[in-house]
Amino acid sequence: MATDPLPTQLADLARLLSQMGTAAAAALQHATTALLDCRERLAQQVIAGDAAVDALRARVEEISTDALLFHAPVAGDLRTVVASIRAAGDLERMGDLALHVAQVAERGRTLPAEVRGDFAEMGRVAVAMARKAAEVAGSRNVVLATELNADDDAMDELHAHMFTVLMDPTWAHGVGTAVDLTLLARYYERFADHAVLVAREMVYAVTGEEPDTIRL
Amino acid sequence: MAHYPLLMRDAYQDQLDELANVLAGMCDEVSEALAKATRSLLEVDLHLAEEVITDDIRVDELRDRAEEQAFALLALQAPVATDLRIVVSAIHGAGDIERMGDLALHIAKAARRRHPQPVLPPEVAPYFAEMGRVGCALARKAATVIRTRDLAKAAELEADDDAMDDLHRHMFTVLMDRNWTHGVGPAVDITLLARFYERYADHAVAVSRRIVYVVTGRMPGPLTV
Repeated sequence: MATDPLPTQLADLARLLSQMGTAAAAALQHATTALLDCRERLAQQVIAGDAAVDALRARVEEISTDALLFHAPVAGDLRTVVASIRAAGDLERMGDLALHVAQVAERGRTLPAEVRGDFAEMGRVAVAMARKAAEVAGSRNVVLATELNADDDAMDELHAHMFTVLMDPTWAHGVGTAVDLTLLARYYERFADHAVLVAREMVYAVTGEEPDTIRL
Repeated sequence: MAHYPLLMRDAYQDQLDELANVLAGMCDEVSEALAKATRSLLEVDLHLAEEVITDDIRVDELRDRAEEQAFALLALQAPVATDLRIVVSAIHGAGDIERMGDLALHIAKAARRRHPQPVLPPEVAPYFAEMGRVGCALARKAATVIRTRDLAKAAELEADDDAMDDLHRHMFTVLMDRNWTHGVGPAVDITLLARFYERYADHAVAVSRRIVYVVTGRMPGPLTV
């Protein structure tokens, strides 16, 4: 079977990465709902669904390797292929982190009332970031990519706030709950970091520059 | 003229070797970083913590170099077969090893944040000494696997990672125990620190698994990173 022409492969990569981002966003949204509303079945669905994201990543790597092998792309096309390999790794990790949140929800952990709002907000911000990363990957919209940095600052503030809550002397929910919440907050924060990285990879593919060095 | 392709081939092979050297060198750097970060935790040594924080830039620079070399190879040599797998695995590996450096940096920052207070209560210090030891060994073994493609050494990383997972799980048992008397604050610090060591190990294993894939054509396990 003849391999596809390079433009077809590049279009396939953009579509697959966008699908991965959409899938990771949906997974974290469901995991967050499962966590907030103690819906263990929903959590199990997220856990079962992660294999689909892993399969998309494998497909991205296959197409990327074929592209390198059969077309030996250079310049912008080469950057796009390498950026796709890297972004697929980040997106797969986002799926894993959504899975970790779902695993906590599956164990039946009930969130204390005073942190529910924070986790709902972390979920909202992180899911929006994954959707933006998906759109950047699908459309190469470099301007949208810059929005993710502001979103990530919002996430960092939420994350820092969680520690203030946990470390407060009036914390009444014990060490076990604090340990779970520490890790949960970390999963959301890392999910957001990877969404930023996906957008950065796409900016790099389009412009050949790291985002820090470009003025938009 | 007959020798010309041969010379080209040698230069090409040199470039591949140099790429492996940079990656292995990164592993050595992050092993040293974790050793120092762990000592800064255990010995409440601010100076060592600062050193780790300052030196992380060296790992980032090595990563940039590895990526430039990988790009040059792809663009100018258009490698095929095993060589292509080597270059692609190097791109992945550079990312993993840089992350290991970041995790050592996070550990050093925890030591600095609490200084002059110790982060670790005395009864958990030995577990962190052990996690540090296992983590450094993993990074050094990953360097050996990159340099030699020794599959027996790669298998050792899998066993070391199991040891790290056991230590990580055990830390939670200690934190959740009724006899834990240090309260929530130290428990939160220790939860994150233990996670950093565990993730460090995961990345070392991912590096090694990619090399096994280069050699055998088969991935020996999931890339859990």
